[in-house]
Amino acid sequence: MADKPKVAIYWLASCAGCDEAIVDLNEAILMVADAVDIVLWPVALDFKYESIRKMEKGEITLAIIHGAVRNSEQEEMAKLLREKSQLVLAFGACACFGGTAGLANFRSKEDIFNWVYQDAPTVVNPNMNRPQTETSVNGNTLTLPEFFERVHPLNDIISVDYYLPGCPPPPDLIANAVFAVLEDKLPPRGTTLAPSKPLCDACPRNRSKPLRLEISEFKRIHEVEANEDQCFLAQGILCIGPAIRSGCGETCIRTNTPCRGCFGPVDGVDDAGAKFISSLASLISADNEEESQKTIDGIADLAGYCYRFSLPSASLKHKNKE
Amino acid sequence: MTTFIPKLVCFSCKFGWGYLNTNGYREQLKNLIPVTCSGKVDTTHIMDAFRKGADGVIILGCPEKECHFQTGNYQARKRILLLRKILKEFGVEPERLKVELNLDPEGTRIPIVIGEMRKEIEKLGPLSPSV
Ligand code: SF4
Ligand code: SF4
Repeated sequence: MADKPKVAIYWLASCAGCDEAIVDLNEAILMVADAVDIVLWPVALDFKYESIRKMEKGEITLAIIHGAVRNSEQEEMAKLLREKSQLVLAFGACACFGGTAGLANFRSKEDIFNWVYQDAPTVVNPNMNRPQTETSVNGNTLTLPEFFERVHPLNDIISVDYYLPGCPPPPDLIANAVFAVLEDKLPPRGTTLAPSKPLCDACPRNRSKPLRLEISEFKRIHEVEANEDQCFLAQGILCIGPAIRSGCGETCIRTNTPCRGCFGPVDGVDDAGAKFISSLASLISADNEEESQKTIDGIADLAGYCYRFSLPSASLKHKNKE
Repeated sequence: MTTFIPKLVCFSCKFGWGYLNTNGYREQLKNLIPVTCSGKVDTTHIMDAFRKGADGVIILGCPEKECHFQTGNYQARKRILLLRKILKEFGVEPERLKVELNLDPEGTRIPIVIGEMRKEIEKLGPLSPSV
């Protein structure tokens, strides 16, 4: 028992869908549970942070961390796990790139607080109360974690050894990653444990993509009845597949939904959103400025689409944030 | 108050715009990057320029119908239009990104075009450091 490698699974700003994905390993999870000693997994088992604090440096073989970092408690736990672990795996789109919650970075903390604690129609807050990191009540001090100005991907806060993207990551890649650790067959540090090719290369609709695409009007997926076999872009529906890493199993495509980008950029690209713009531009017809502008004006929420899962790791940060 | 001197990055097509420094303009333009075609400028290069501190980016390409590679200039223009839409969401004024499709083999107009852009950016002020 004592010789088994120790594994910690932890959530930061996470919806716990990543925990669900680990549970979905089904039988394989039993093999994993046999082979390792799980020392922390808040969603499934009861552990105390204190027992982690008491551990030696590097005592944990692998920390699987999912979720982005939005507050000081998450930062503290990420740093604690980094200190105690030999390997840190950023698990899922939120830990890797910030995830959907990272879309909040289009707004300032002040905007968010104004809405959530004041302006939202269902809020009644006559005293304009806001969360405080310290409040004294009857001579006692209550504390809350500090809500940061922005959402951060995990590697903004600690060094990360491996990345496993997805929202959530698919079972085959999770099993590969865990067994690679157990069998000591890991690639060089810093690697993303997923194929390096773009999604289009793996997409069953790729062959239906015409050689030359000329889109003059964009439609959103809910506005049309999309053809189930044809490339989405060929139908004038945004699909970020050309700029996104494959490995997801094309789940969305197979359920007639265009790719939103949860696997992040391919190797060698940091900003999948910006990369996608280059390929998208070449598909827009209209050889005069006015027509191009008209087509582009018609794209709803382009920035939200390009950065649906990756805004916190985009090359640009929101200007009003500093 | 310190005076604000905008940092501009200019990608300039070698076919349509001068790049041989015939009239000494290169000294005034620290970040002039001659490219083989305006269509070679990837959106990631532009975002990278902003991230590394540029206050404005301008791309000089050949006039309509005169691209040496047929449509590079159109591609550049569409990229810029798309990126301007994205920049707005990042709180960055779209005026900080421009494309000019024109012909200037001697490079005489480059300092003028850059000068005009510089004036506009001066009005907008610095792009607050984002990293
Ligand atoms: S653009 Fe989307 S639908 Fe078309 S081939 Fe690529 S991933 Fe498939
Ligand atoms: S198709 Fe895109 S959004 Fe859907 S699972 Fe794959 S990478 Fe994620």
